[in-house]
Amino acid sequence: MIKKILTMALAMTMCFSLAACGGSDAPATVATSEGQVEDTQASAESDKAKIVEKGELVIGITDFEPMDYKDADGNWIGFDADMAKAFAESLGVTAKFVEIEWDNKALELSSGSIDCVWNGMTLTDEVLSAMDCSNPYCNNAQIVIVPKDKADAYQTVESLADLNFAVEQGSAGKEQAEAHSLKFTEVTNQANALMEVAAGTSDAAIIDSLMAAAMVGEGTSYDNLTYTVGLNEEKYGVGFRKGSDLVGELNAFFKKSYEDGSMVKSAETYKVQAALIPQ
Amino acid sequence: MGILNVEHIVKSFDKTEVLKDICFSMEESEVLSIIGSSGSGKTTLLRCLNFLERPDKGIIKVNDNIVFDGNDKSYLKESVIRKNRMHFGMVFQSFNLFPQYTAIENVMLARRLQAEKLPDFKAKKKEILEEIRSEAEFLIAQMGLTERKDNYPHQLSGGQCQRVAIARALAMKPDILCFDEPTSALDPELTGEVLRVIKELAETRMTMIIVTHEMAFARDVADKVIFMDNGYVLESGTSDEVFNHPKEDRTKQFLGRFNNG
Amino acid sequence: MQTFSEQLPIVLHSLNIGFLQTLKLFFVTLIGALPLGLLISLGTGSKITPLRITLKIFIWIIRGTPLMIQLLIIYYFPGLVLKNAIWGGDEAGRFAASAVAFIINYACYFSEIFRGGISSIPIGQDEAGLVLGMSKSQIFFKVKLLQMIKRIVPPMSNEILTLVKDTSLARIIALQEVIWAGQAFMKGSQGISGAIWPLFFTAIYYLICNGLLTLLLGGLEKKLEYFR
Repeated sequence: MIKKILTMALAMTMCFSLAACGGSDAPATVATSEGQVEDTQASAESDKAKIVEKGELVIGITDFEPMDYKDADGNWIGFDADMAKAFAESLGVTAKFVEIEWDNKALELSSGSIDCVWNGMTLTDEVLSAMDCSNPYCNNAQIVIVPKDKADAYQTVESLADLNFAVEQGSAGKEQAEAHSLKFTEVTNQANALMEVAAGTSDAAIIDSLMAAAMVGEGTSYDNLTYTVGLNEEKYGVGFRKGSDLVGELNAFFKKSYEDGSMVKSAETYKVQAALIPQ
Repeated sequence: MGILNVEHIVKSFDKTEVLKDICFSMEESEVLSIIGSSGSGKTTLLRCLNFLERPDKGIIKVNDNIVFDGNDKSYLKESVIRKNRMHFGMVFQSFNLFPQYTAIENVMLARRLQAEKLPDFKAKKKEILEEIRSEAEFLIAQMGLTERKDNYPHQLSGGQCQRVAIARALAMKPDILCFDEPTSALDPELTGEVLRVIKELAETRMTMIIVTHEMAFARDVADKVIFMDNGYVLESGTSDEVFNHPKEDRTKQFLGRFNNG
Repeated sequence: MQTFSEQLPIVLHSLNIGFLQTLKLFFVTLIGALPLGLLISLGTGSKITPLRITLKIFIWIIRGTPLMIQLLIIYYFPGLVLKNAIWGGDEAGRFAASAVAFIINYACYFSEIFRGGISSIPIGQDEAGLVLGMSKSQIFFKVKLLQMIKRIVPPMSNEILTLVKDTSLARIIALQEVIWAGQAFMKGSQGISGAIWPLFFTAIYYLICNGLLTLLLGGLEKKLEYFR
């Protein structure tokens, strides 16, 4: 959050200097307040109309199995990717997947370089304050990762107090660490958090349960790590720009897809049906 | 009349007046020596003739044509200066050869750049370049450097470098060739070869102005001598007059130092 | 679980694509920043005071702030504040924004090196050119430029090797260069997850690239040894 504010502040400074040179009155309105302008701007124009006009829905993602990942031919697949493609089709546009730096997702959205974040995104307070989100569609949990040989000692939330945690900056895992008053260090992504534990630089990590299933345990590079305590229940949603009319569109689309069974079928393809939330 | 007339030249750096009302003239084929102690303004005077410094006041005429007038700003224009400074050639104390070019390339470079601006250069490129090269080779030979013509400056001795620099200045066919203490940066045993070359040039009736500390040489080669002191021309006359019968006490004192030392 | 020998071609394929992006950014930056840096350095030596001061302040800002912030501002500023996402969200747009940020940043660093190179050439070279009737531009291009290049090759080599490594900063705006490609296998990509070794492979790519550049720049330095 601090980084975002800093970036905005710098952007504003640049804006002032540009306004001074250009003399155009457009940037001057921005000088009042960031939030105000964003709101008025977003509600003034229909996001849907804009996307239909350009003919594509730009979807911000990261490589995140089983939600968004590449098949052998380099095409994006996954539960989220398939649903996004179907949603774009229902709007009569093509889906375009763009890999983003996860920390910058809100920035990517509000700057307009992407139209939505659809990537197993946990609906945290931070996310909900930065974007307008769809109804939750998937359950997730933040879970604790420790080395296998120490797992027995840390099976309860109370036992975690002495540990030094590695968490992804700006993540739901970090919020849980704060909520439980745990000692933690922020790292750039969840994979780095795991590496910290494997390397012994941190005692434990907090990551998404869906991710943990893919990355930790037998058959992975981290087969000496395991997961113990679940810290919370949380939900995935899709993020749009503030005030976007696409939120309603997607909620309606989810409802329709759930009712006709296509959403469940897609979830089964990627084995996430157990986590699916009825629409 | 005369090839060069310098009238009432004044030049200051910041608040210090370095040249105070300098007047002199010289005839074609004359050799003029400017002598005087360090800081007397000799070098500045020479640099004013080449427009490396801009005089504050005064008039400079070459062949009775004004090339500089302190009261007329139009003479300060870059293009005018570039044209007028071509009347003068300049040989520096520290040679200032271009290190990335061989001896002969140093001599040819400016001529070649000049030729490239000619309207018919493309059509006659080969002949023009051939002419420039043969002239350069002639000058290099005149300096006795034919065998070193393809050497780079750092492969040459100081004396050889200075001879290349003289050839380079001559290549531009100046009306008047100026030397700014041409042997001061040389080891004593190398000054002879440079002085010999200058003397040979004098014999070809080249018009030259030589700022030098080599009193014996100045006496020998100069037709006319100017003694400068503290920004003034204190005494001028033929070599015999100034060296053998100086009128001013200051001149006597200055020359005495050399005769005794 | 695939074996290492099955994973290797998948990883190398990804890394190659990423490294191509790294190289592209490197060369585009070099091609853009060298002439721009020369222009800026000539501008900072200009007699026009407003131009000189503007450029000095500009250099101060660019050299005084992290390249990472500059990348963020250049990529997000137009969409965020001007409400016009000129770069677009796709790979080409991210590359263009990265290239602009890198060219501006490196041009400022290069300009200071150029300035040092130019000012280290004795004034006698200018004077010799002037008395031979050369114009200022002839003196610059025919006399001083090569001498300057000779002087700046060693400091320039340092900057160029740093540039190769700095290209990885562009991942902050999701340019998928070689480290991004390597890190993807830590998070999980193409059936390989939690793998750290691809990241170490990226180091080898950098080493090879910088090794070749060191040879090349060393060769250039040698080539310019014919004069002093």
